[in-house]
Amino acid sequence: MQSSVLIVTLIGMTCVMAVFWWVLAQSSRSGDCPAAPTQDLYRTRLLIGLAVAGFVITALSLRQWPHAIASSSANPVRVQATGSQWSWEIAPKTLPVGRPVIFSVSTTDVTHGFGVYDSNGDMLFQTQAMPGYVNQVQYQFEKPGIYKVMCMEYCGLAHHDMMEELKVVSKGGE
Amino acid sequence: MATSTKPDVTGIARPCPAQLAVTLTMVLCGVVLLLMMVFGLAMRLAQANLIAIEPTLFYRLMTAHGIGMVGTAGITGAAIMWHFLSRHVSLTAWVFWALIGFFLAGVIAILEAIFIGGFAGAWTFLFPLPQHSGGLWEPRAAATYLVGVILVGVGFLLFLLEAGRAIVARYGNLGNALGWPLLFTGSQADLPPPTVVASAAVVVFNGIGTIVGAAVLLISLVNLLVPSFSVDALLAKNMIYFFGHVFINASIYMAVIAVYEIIPSYTGRPWKTSRVFVASWSAVMLMVMAVYPHHLQQDTVMPAWALIMGQVISYASGLPLLAVTVFSLLAYLYRSGIRWDLTSALLVLGVFGWAMGSVPAIIDGMVSVNKVMHNTQWVPGHFHTYLLVGEIAIVLGFMSWLGSATEARLKPLPVSGSFWAYTVGGFGFVLVFLTSGAMSIPRRWAVHLPAWWGQDRLGSLFAAITIAGAGLLIWTLAKRLIATSKV
Repeated sequence: MQSSVLIVTLIGMTCVMAVFWWVLAQSSRSGDCPAAPTQDLYRTRLLIGLAVAGFVITALSLRQWPHAIASSSANPVRVQATGSQWSWEIAPKTLPVGRPVIFSVSTTDVTHGFGVYDSNGDMLFQTQAMPGYVNQVQYQFEKPGIYKVMCMEYCGLAHHDMMEELKVVSKGGE
Repeated sequence: MATSTKPDVTGIARPCPAQLAVTLTMVLCGVVLLLMMVFGLAMRLAQANLIAIEPTLFYRLMTAHGIGMVGTAGITGAAIMWHFLSRHVSLTAWVFWALIGFFLAGVIAILEAIFIGGFAGAWTFLFPLPQHSGGLWEPRAAATYLVGVILVGVGFLLFLLEAGRAIVARYGNLGNALGWPLLFTGSQADLPPPTVVASAAVVVFNGIGTIVGAAVLLISLVNLLVPSFSVDALLAKNMIYFFGHVFINASIYMAVIAVYEIIPSYTGRPWKTSRVFVASWSAVMLMVMAVYPHHLQQDTVMPAWALIMGQVISYASGLPLLAVTVFSLLAYLYRSGIRWDLTSALLVLGVFGWAMGSVPAIIDGMVSVNKVMHNTQWVPGHFHTYLLVGEIAIVLGFMSWLGSATEARLKPLPVSGSFWAYTVGGFGFVLVFLTSGAMSIPRRWAVHLPAWWGQDRLGSLFAAITIAGAGLLIWTLAKRLIATSKV
C-alpha cells in the first residue's frame, strides 16, 4: 500500500506544481484580471470536482471499516501485547498463517505504538497502546516468517530499542 | 523609527503599535529558526550514523526542536497578524510586548527544563510521559517544562483577547468581523477586509485551542505534583492533539494574512472580501477544531464516528485552501505583470508549500492509510512541507517586505541564490521524509537501522542546503531590519 500512497501523493503534488507553473509562467505579462464571473465559474467547477472526488474516495476507503474485528465464528487467534518502558510482552508469539489474529494491545505505563513489520521492513499495521485502555487490531498473516514489532509512539530514552519478534508458521508448523 | 502607515480600506492610516516589538520578534525568531534547523540537521546526521549523539541528548534536541519550531511559528504568525490587523483596528501596544515577555519567560523555563533538567518528553508532552521518565529526568524538570509552555500560552491568550477586543470594538461583534452579514444577507455595509475576517476566525479557534491546551497542561502539572491525581489518558490525548493541531494551524492561518496584504501591492489587484472568502474562513474556523481526531486514528477505542469525522474533515479542510486561498492567489497573479523580487517570491513560495503539504496530509488523514503511515517519517514529511516551505517562507517574505516598508529608501531585494538553495533544499528535504515514510521508517528514533542510513544521509544533505540558503536569507533580512529600526 505504501508505494501506491507515495505515487498518488507525488501525482497530486505534481498537479499542484503544474498549476502554479502555468500561472507563474504568465504572471509577468500584463493583462486583465480574470473577470469575477469567470473566476466563480472555474472555482465552482474546482469545488464540485474536489467534492465529488472526496465523496468517492471516502466511500471507497471506508466501505470496509479498517479497524473491523472478526467475530468469534471466524475462529481468530487472540494475542495479548503489553508495552512497558522499554519492552513488549507478547503471548503467544508464534502465530499461524491464514487465520485472523486479533491483537489486544495495552500498556503498563505510558503510550506506546504497536507496529508490525514484515521481513522487507514494510509496516503491515499498527495500533496504539494507551494507558487504561485496550486497543484491538486484526491482521491475517499470509506468509510464514519472522515479523518485527516496533514502538511507533515516542515513549522515552530507549524508545528506539523497543523491538520484539513474532514468528508466523504455516499449517505444517514451519 | 519610521513605521508602516499604509492606509486601510477606510482610507485611515494607522501606525502599527509596538512596531519595534514586531521587528524584534522577527529578528529573534530568525536566529531561533536557524538554531532549531541546526538541531534538526544534527538529529538527521545522528540517524545517518555520521555523527554520534547519545539518545539522551538526541531526545532533548528533539524536544527542543519541536517546541522551538512550534513556538517560533506561532509567534511569527502572531507578529504578522498584529502588524496588519493594526491597519484596521486599534490595538494596544503593550499587549504585544506582554506576549514577548511571557514568551521569553516561557522559553527560559523550557530551555532550563530541557538542557539542565534533562526533560525529553517531546514537545507534545503526551500524558503521562512527563511523569514516567524512566530515570531520564526528574519531575521538577517536567514541571518546569509544563510551566514554561503555560507561560507561552498565557502570552498568546493575551494577544488573542486583545485582538478580539479590538475587532469587536470596531465591528460590533465577531459575527460582523467574520463577514456573516455578507454571507447570510448579502449586505456590503461596513465590509471587513480579509485581514479582519481571518483574524476574527483565528481569535475564535486559537482562543479555544489555547484554553484547552492550558487545561491539559495544568492537569499534567498537578499529576506531576500529586501523582494520585490522575486523568483519563485518552481524554488528555484528545485535549493535547486538539490544542496542538489548532495552535500550529493557527500559525499558518495568521501568516497568510501577509499574502492578503502584500501581494495586492505587487499585482495592483486588491484582495477582496467576497462571499466565498467569508464562507471559507467560517468553514476553516469550524474545521480546524473538528479535524483533530485524525491524530488518534490508531486508537481503536475512539468512537468510529470521530475517526470518520477526522478523515472526512481532513479532506474537506483542503477545499478552502485549494479552492479559495490558492485559487484566488493564482487568479490575482495571472497576467498581473507582477514584478518579482524576494518578497513576492517568498510569499508565493509559502502558499505553494502550504498547498503542496496539504496533499500528503490529506492522504495520511485516511484511516486505512494512517494504519501504515502513522508515526512514520511521512508525518514530519507533510508537516515540514507546509511549515518549512510554507509558513517559514511567508515569514521570510514578511521580513523582506518589512525592511522596505519601514524604510522607504531601501530597495526591495532581488530573488537570490539563497532563495533557490532554501527552496530546492527544502523540497528535497521533505521529499526524503515522505519517501522514508513510504519505506515505513519510524519517526522520533534516535538510532536508525543501517538499512535506513541512505535515506538519512540524503535528508542530511538537503537539510544542509536548506540551512545554507535560510541562513543567508535570515542574515540579509535581519541585518536590514536591524538597520531600519535604528533610523
